[in-house]
Amino acid sequence: MDYGRPDLADSLAAEYVAGTLRGGARRRFESLLPAHALLREATRVWQERLMPLTESIAPVQPSGEVWRRVSERIGGEAKAATGAWQRLSLWRGLTTFASVAAIGLAVLLANPRAVPPPVVVVLAATGALPGGVQPASLVASISGDGATLVARPIVPVSVQADRSLELWAVPKDGAPRSLGVLPGGSGTVALRGSVLAGVDTLAVTIEPFGGSPTGKATGPIVYAGKFSL
Amino acid sequence: MVKPAADWTERSLDLSRLLARAGLGDRAAFATLYERTSSHLFAVVLRINRDRAQAEDILQEVYVNVWRAAQSFDAAQSQPLTWLTSIARNRAIDSLRRVQTQPQFQTVGSAAGGTDPEDEDVYDTVADAAPGPLDLLSRATDARAVTQCMDKLTALQRQSVALAFYQGLSHAEVAQQLRQPLGTVKSWVRRALMTLKSCLQGAVVRDGKDA
Repeated sequence: MDYGRPDLADSLAAEYVAGTLRGGARRRFESLLPAHALLREATRVWQERLMPLTESIAPVQPSGEVWRRVSERIGGEAKAATGAWQRLSLWRGLTTFASVAAIGLAVLLANPRAVPPPVVVVLAATGALPGGVQPASLVASISGDGATLVARPIVPVSVQADRSLELWAVPKDGAPRSLGVLPGGSGTVALRGSVLAGVDTLAVTIEPFGGSPTGKATGPIVYAGKFSL
Repeated sequence: MVKPAADWTERSLDLSRLLARAGLGDRAAFATLYERTSSHLFAVVLRINRDRAQAEDILQEVYVNVWRAAQSFDAAQSQPLTWLTSIARNRAIDSLRRVQTQPQFQTVGSAAGGTDPEDEDVYDTVADAAPGPLDLLSRATDARAVTQCMDKLTALQRQSVALAFYQGLSHAEVAQQLRQPLGTVKSWVRRALMTLKSCLQGAVVRDGKDA
């Protein structure tokens, strides 16, 4: 079957979300989802269409036993970011201390579409400029679908040969997530999954060449900018 | 229908924040998320799988999965409650398949016949005092476009969709319940879903947004 056909993808997704796609057909559909963007998108749209129908179902309280078992099972599962919570106040303090004059500029489109408009973030120099970085600033543009970020320096940026600039997404709560290194202060970053969820600050640090070896920022923050999606 | 973030209800924003924090390993945020959503998800699961003990097992699996997958939740793509409810529904529907293989579960022979694998999923429907799927549809009478669009369906189309969606009945089970040929029910459901789709797209266009 050709799952690339939009009409077929749409009717399969409809029956899948409605629940009438069953048995082997349902399992086959689920196994195809990871590889077929068209099926995934059609499924997502049908979920948004039909799930409001569940709002009329009266809530039923599960027994307390369910939460006890859930929390027991997730108790042993450490997450990558868990250890980094304490670093948060340091990051917040740094960005505040530098009194960053940054503007999060939402570019409003005249004709509003379902897809949100792109967001432009200006990352201003923090003043912490060791390692031969010129005072300058960066502009980062996040595409409307949240899938890509393009960073460009306003004036050329240079760093020592043995250092790299690394871009970080800093959530309101939680550890900064690396978005990758920016050679010469510019680059295009694919934003995977929910990497920007809860993020209100973009920051650039100076790291060893090739980026932080630990996945956590080690160098000073040289540029930062706040924004909201 | 993707809604711009500005249109989100406070509740959606709240749940999105909790999911984002749970994705970073914040157990307290995850506990709050459970507190705010578990009775809804449990009710959704319980309508599809009426066995309370099994429904609680399913709910447990759902939240363990939510904890693991929270990082992949994309607030720009989905409403958090839609995302959560979809996970719960899928688990509940999958559980019906597993229930089928349990020897103690009494199955009803497929009266409709046919060779579709889905036709094998016939299970006992249990009468109880809970509101029926049509009651649920008529109670969903808020301003939601989807409930308005439901009115565009014929009575039998509406009943077929409601039985399938709320109770998790397969085509064959809906056919059995409505005493209609399987092929007829299949085309009712198919046409009903396409009618809903075009009605909802019409609603979006009337709101001045691109379809």
